[in-house]
This record gives sequence, structure tokens and C-alpha cells, in this order.
Amino acid sequence: MGRKFLVIVFVLLLSAAISLAVETEYRVEPYHGQYGGTLINPSLGSGPKTLNPTVARETSSTDIIDRFLDFLIELDQYGTIQSEGRLAKSWDRLEGGKVWIFHLRKGVLWSDGVPFTADDVVWSFDKVWENPKIPSGGQDVIKDAEGNFPGVEKIDDYTVKFTLKMAFRPFLRSVGLTQILPKHVLAKSVEDGTFQQQWTVNDVDKIVGTGPFIPSEYVSGERVVLKRNPHYWRKDLDGKVLPYLDGEVFKIIADQNAILLAFESGEVDHMGPRSADYPRLRKEAVQKGFVVGLDGPTFGTQFFCFNFNTPDPVKRKWFRNEYFRKAVAYAFDKESVINTAYNGLADAQWSAVSAAAKYFYDPKVRKYPFNLNFARAMLKLGGFKLVGGDLVDKDGNPVKFIITTNSGNTVREDMCNILVEKLKQLGMDVTFAPQDFNSLVKKLLNTGDWEGLMIGLTGGVDPHSGSNVWKLDGDLHFWNYSPEKREYVKKQNDYYSPEWAKEIDTIYKQETTVSDEEAKVLFNKFQETVAEHLPLIYTVQQKYIYAYSKKVHNMAPTAFGGRIWNEYAIWKEK
Amino acid sequence: MLKYIIRRIIVAIPVLIGVSVLCFIIIQMAPGDFLDQLRINPAISKETIDKMTHQFGLDKPVVEQYFMWLKSAVTGNFGYSYSYRRPVSSLIWSRAYNTFILAITSLIFSWIIGIGLGIFSALHKYTAADHILTVLAFIGLATPAFFLGLILLYFAARTGTFPITGMTSVNHEHMTTIGKIVDILKHLFLPMLALGLIRLVGIMRQMRGQLLDVMHEDYVLFAVAKGMPRNVVIYKHALRNAINPLITMFGYALASLLSGALIIEIIFSWPGLGRLIYNALLEQDVYLVMGSLLISSAMLIGGNLVADILLAWADPRVRLR
Repeated sequence: MGRKFLVIVFVLLLSAAISLAVETEYRVEPYHGQYGGTLINPSLGSGPKTLNPTVARETSSTDIIDRFLDFLIELDQYGTIQSEGRLAKSWDRLEGGKVWIFHLRKGVLWSDGVPFTADDVVWSFDKVWENPKIPSGGQDVIKDAEGNFPGVEKIDDYTVKFTLKMAFRPFLRSVGLTQILPKHVLAKSVEDGTFQQQWTVNDVDKIVGTGPFIPSEYVSGERVVLKRNPHYWRKDLDGKVLPYLDGEVFKIIADQNAILLAFESGEVDHMGPRSADYPRLRKEAVQKGFVVGLDGPTFGTQFFCFNFNTPDPVKRKWFRNEYFRKAVAYAFDKESVINTAYNGLADAQWSAVSAAAKYFYDPKVRKYPFNLNFARAMLKLGGFKLVGGDLVDKDGNPVKFIITTNSGNTVREDMCNILVEKLKQLGMDVTFAPQDFNSLVKKLLNTGDWEGLMIGLTGGVDPHSGSNVWKLDGDLHFWNYSPEKREYVKKQNDYYSPEWAKEIDTIYKQETTVSDEEAKVLFNKFQETVAEHLPLIYTVQQKYIYAYSKKVHNMAPTAFGGRIWNEYAIWKEK
Repeated sequence: MLKYIIRRIIVAIPVLIGVSVLCFIIIQMAPGDFLDQLRINPAISKETIDKMTHQFGLDKPVVEQYFMWLKSAVTGNFGYSYSYRRPVSSLIWSRAYNTFILAITSLIFSWIIGIGLGIFSALHKYTAADHILTVLAFIGLATPAFFLGLILLYFAARTGTFPITGMTSVNHEHMTTIGKIVDILKHLFLPMLALGLIRLVGIMRQMRGQLLDVMHEDYVLFAVAKGMPRNVVIYKHALRNAINPLITMFGYALASLLSGALIIEIIFSWPGLGRLIYNALLEQDVYLVMGSLLISSAMLIGGNLVADILLAWADPRVRLR
């Protein structure tokens, strides 16, 4: 009798415990597939340096971190925010964007089985990303336009409230894409100040995440192995819990040629070929079972620019002369650049925003198609004239300057060589002298000792990411630093700040507090202003190239998402 | 002898300190620092950069930075790598082992076969075999290691006989012990060949020339004249005299054991020290560079010492005091 009673009590308690466990709110993904297989990814370079998201600073590290850590919202393969997020199922924008309430996905477990709750979110922002003792690139991203962090508090286990000092348009994208870390694993290290020494590449066995794959093995300089997370929160159309794959491997390969050979011999399953390799892979595709394709341009931009505050006052006058810059723009032969440096796989860029940023891109900006006669006309308008084949300014000084880029970047070097040749045809005496990256950065950011420059900057879906570049007092406004920012400009005592530059500055001061639609209008104005006055002369953008083996299914590479953005749905034939 | 070794080791200490000072000065003189990549990233503010500069101690005077490093180096800690956030020594040792395997096998391969072929070539002077070896040697001397590496890589990719990248297969962890060894040997073969063949031909030509020189010496002629068996003349008298300069060369080869494989490591994605150092140099990860440079200098000093000891052992005329 007594024993029977105990059994009944036990069964009752057990069912109570089961009903207490929250049912997982799976996100359903539009795929069908089969379980099994291991995807072999190439990782160019020397492999990950760290698995700690506050320390990581290059793609070989972030590529691994992105596999096992999630954030609140979800983007599609083109970078558009989806209505149902990752760790947040939905959110409300209140009080004109000053208060945001995130409703977290219920029943999500960390890969070690511990439930994910609002405490993890609050702790990640409060104690890690907003912690002044843990400086990281991510810290700047979540600050508002005046440098304040958002306040974050827990409402209940599945609701988090963010409070801002001012409305900040890019908030959802910046905070929503910040990685959420496991409080139960890392809280102690934040308290004793060792957080940034946690999750080094040797700590693979300690990594806990909510992503589809969790690192399980690291072989220095060779590979990182990731295992399927059994507690993942996505399902397919048939109700199968994702991901399909048993795991992923990142094979560390030092050299782009070796990646190509490894792909051709089946050692890796996919790759991002260079434009020079594209024709060869296309030829092999049918015979070897490859899928080789192209997507639109990437987000990074490359441009040519002049230093408005170069040491020589005569040259300063040329570089500040709008007609001079327009002449250079007309002399830039993009067609030749695309054909010689990019094998035809690139697009001309005219706007300051990449065409990849579909929402904010303005295709109607002024263009400067290659035409040396137009260039000569611009020089004439600018007061320059030809004396015996040499170009001189209106005071009779021969036009002579040096252009540079970071040495080793062959594409930029090709572009500079093509430009130099055309500028010589205009009668300019131009020397091309590439320099080591570090010494170039020093001249660019500290001493201002440069004349003409070809360089690139990373970009994003939202032109807001350029605010540090375009504001007059921006830390990367390197072609025309304000006297308050740089001593050398102050000493020259002839700071040049035209109306249009102030307009751009105003646009960047306004864009953070308005709606997306209003920001679009502002950014169109910005793009038109830049194209009209040419502080930076944009060049060309490479197309995104991908190749993968037909054995891998459900792959859908894009320039924004890359090749494995939907890794949870990828599966591989045995 | 033991006294001599101890004295050489003690002398090495100030040399190493001098090397570390020079390295530190040169690294500091190079423009820029570890944070330059971040400085040109539009998403990162100057404040954050300043905080990181402080965290890494990059805002302290150079002399103070050096002595901080020296103090920890004496206690066996060569500082933290900026990008890995791990002690430099653990990083270096994990990689040095892989480079060591590659370097030592190619060293043994090139020296045994090189010396053997050199002797053969000298003893069969001006025969067809000698001519063929000479032509091959000149081709080998004229071929840069990276080119040979690329050719081998291409060969492997076309035929599928050998793996192309890395030191172990993806499923290495799940293999038996013998399977693991075979797996490593398979991965090792091509980079070892690329590294070894180029060295081999140089050693072969040296050995041939030295042996031929010695064979014309009076004492060799005398030994032959008095009727000593040919093998004894060659291997006991001629070879022992001919091999002295090669032993000095061997010492240098030991010294470049860890640093000589960089290009081959990159081509074959071999997880060695060279790639680690190369990237540290590019990134200006100061302490990682310092640690590896010190190891290279220690290897140079050690290699010379080993060469001297070997020389004393091979040549009774050399006395070490």
C-alpha cells in the first residue's frame, strides 16, 4: 500500500515537472531536408584568434562566433529585418522610439541545457557590452548619437525593456544584432575581471551558446570542429528540429590558391573564388558537380581622394578645387579597371552608399563617365592651363603630386596605375608610390602627410555606419580633419569647410532621430551632395562570387549573408 | 668539454638580452601598432581605441614596456599575445612542435640522401650518372622552394594521391594510433619533399666538391700508394676530412630549423610556427613577435654549439676548451 502510494506521488511530481518546463516556441523555416553530414568550410588566413566576441576583430574569429551565439532580431539574406526575430519573438517600439520592449522566445535552452531567460539579455548588455572595463568594437555600435548606452531592465523572465535617452533610429539594428552571452557560464569572470581572457581558442570545451553549432575541438592552425546543438530553436516545414547537419568543420588554409585546389579536390565544400578563378571554375562546374554563381556587389566601398590639408599650401589649393577633383573623376577609366583588375566581375560605383544597401541606395546621383575631353574642360574651368604639354595652375605652378595606396593590394595598385596613366595624358606629373598599411594609417590619421589616396572602407546596410567618416569632427574624416581634431590642421591656419560639407554634417546629425522614410530622403540628399562635390571619388565594386559542391543542399549564397547564412537548413549527401 | 658547454651557455645569456633589446627597438620603430586595423574601422570610436591602448600598455614609454616584458620573461612568461589573449609561450610551443616534425624529417631526408648522393657522385666522377645528378642539382639549385611546393601541390590536386592542406585529416581524432601516424605521414610527405629536395641538391654538390678536393690531397694519394684498401681510404681518411665544412653547415641548418619553413608552411597550410610569426608580424602583435624571435636566436646559438661539438667529435685536431 505504502509503496503504491509513493509511486503515485512520484508520477504526479514528474508530470508536474514536465508541465512546468516551458514548451519551446520554435521558429519554422521554409525548408525540407535530411539529417546527417558534416559541412567542411574553408577559413582563409591563420584561423580564429579567439572565440570571445568582445575580443574578436577579424572574420576568421567572428565566422566561428557567429555559429554559436545569437542575437535578438533576425535578418534575411539581404539584410532586411524580419518581423519574427531570433531570441526575441517580437518587439514593441514605444514613446516615439525611446522605449523598446522585447518579447523573448520561450523555451530556448543554452547548449548545456540551461534555460535562456531575460536575465541573460540584461546581463549581456549591462555587465558585458556596456562595461567600461571591457572595451570592444561592439560597445560603440550600441551607443546612441550622443554616446549614451541604452538602459536595460527585466520585466519578467521573457520580457526585456530598453530605455533610451533620445530616439535613435539605428537602435533596433545595433542592439538587436548584439550577441547575447550565457550569464550562468561567464558571470563570475566579469566579476573577477578575467572576462577577456575567457573563451580563448583553447577553451572550446567551455563554450555554451544558442546557435546551431557549438565548437567542440580546436587544432591550432588546422581546424575548428563544431557539433550540432541539440537544443536549437528552429524547425523545418516537416517539424524536424534543425540543424540537419551533424556538425561543421572550419579548415584553416593560409592561401587563396590552396583553398581553390582544396575545393577542386573535394577537401572543402564551398568557397569564395577570386574573379581570376571564376572562368576556370565555370568551365569545371558541370564535369565536377559545382555550382558557381554571382551576386550583386558587396557593402565595402573603394574610393580615391585628396588631402584637403596636405602640407604644401599650393597643392592644398588644387585639392580643394572642385573642378580639379571632377577632372580626376572624369579621367578615371572604370571600364578598364573592371576588365583588367576584376576580370569583368565588378560594377562601377557612383554613389557614397553601396548598391548592396538596397533601401538607402540612390541610383540617380551624378555620374562621371570616362572622358578625357570633359576632364580637360573641367581643368580649364578650374583655372588650370597647359603649357607645353604640362598642366599648370593659374599661378604657373606645375601640377605634380603623389598618389598612394596600401601596398600588397594588387587590385588597388592596378587601379592607381590605370589612373596615373590617364592623369599623365591630362598633363599632370603624377607618381604612384604604394606604402605599407601601418605607415599609411599613421599618415592618414595622425600626421596628414599625404596627397592622393586610393583606399576602401567597410560599409553596412544602413549609411549610419559612415557617421564617423562624414561628420566634420569625425575621427575618420581624414581628408579634411577639423582644426579641433588635428593639431596639424590648426597650424596651417586655413581650414576649408565649404557649405556642402556642412550640409552633410547636418544630415548625419539629423538622421538618427527621424523615421527610416525621412532618413531615406536625407541620405538621398547626402549621396547627391557627395557625387556633386566629390570629396571622395568612388571607384568600382567587386561582385560577390561563390562556388559550392552539388552534394550540399539548400545553399543560397548572397553578398550580405555569405555562403552559410542558413547553415541550420543546409544538408549534405553522404 | 662540459665546462666548455656551460661557458657557452652562460655567454649566450647576454647575447639573448642584446637580441631582445634590438628586436624591441626595431619593432617599436616600425610605424603603427596592433590597433591600426581598428583605427580605420568606421564603427569604432577613438574612445574605445584609447581604452584598448591603455589596456595593452601601449601608452607607456617604450623603455618601461621593455622592462615590464623583460621582468616577466625572466620568470618564464613571455607576455600575452594581443590577438589571442593567451600566454605567448603556450602559443609558440603548440606550433613549434608541428614545425619541428616537418623540419626534422626534411633535415634527415635531405642530409642522408644528399651526403650519399654526393659521395656517389664524387666516386663516379664524370660518368653518365654523375652528369645526370649534376644537371638535376643545377635545376634544383635554380628552383625556388615555393615553386617546387606549388608544383607538388598541383600534382597532388590533379592526381588525388596526397591531401593538400594541413597536417591531419578532419576525422583524425577518431583514428587508431597507427591510423593517426599514417595520416600525419601522408600529410607530411609533400611539404617534406618540397623543403628537403631544395636543400638536398646543395648538400650533394658540397659533399661532392669537398670529397674530390680531399681525394687529391697528398696523404690520400700516399695511402692509396701504400696499398691501403680503397674503402678504408675513402671512408676513414678522405670522408672524415671532407665532412668538416658540412658539419658547420649542419649547425646553421639546425639554427634555421624552426624559421626556415615559412613559405612551405603557407603553401601547404602546415600549422607551424612560421605562419604564426608571419601573422604576428603583420598584425604587430609585439610580444608574440618577441617570443618567436628569441626562440629563433636561441636556436641559432644552440645550433652553433651543436655544430662545434660535432666538429670536435669528428675531427680530433679541434679541441674545445
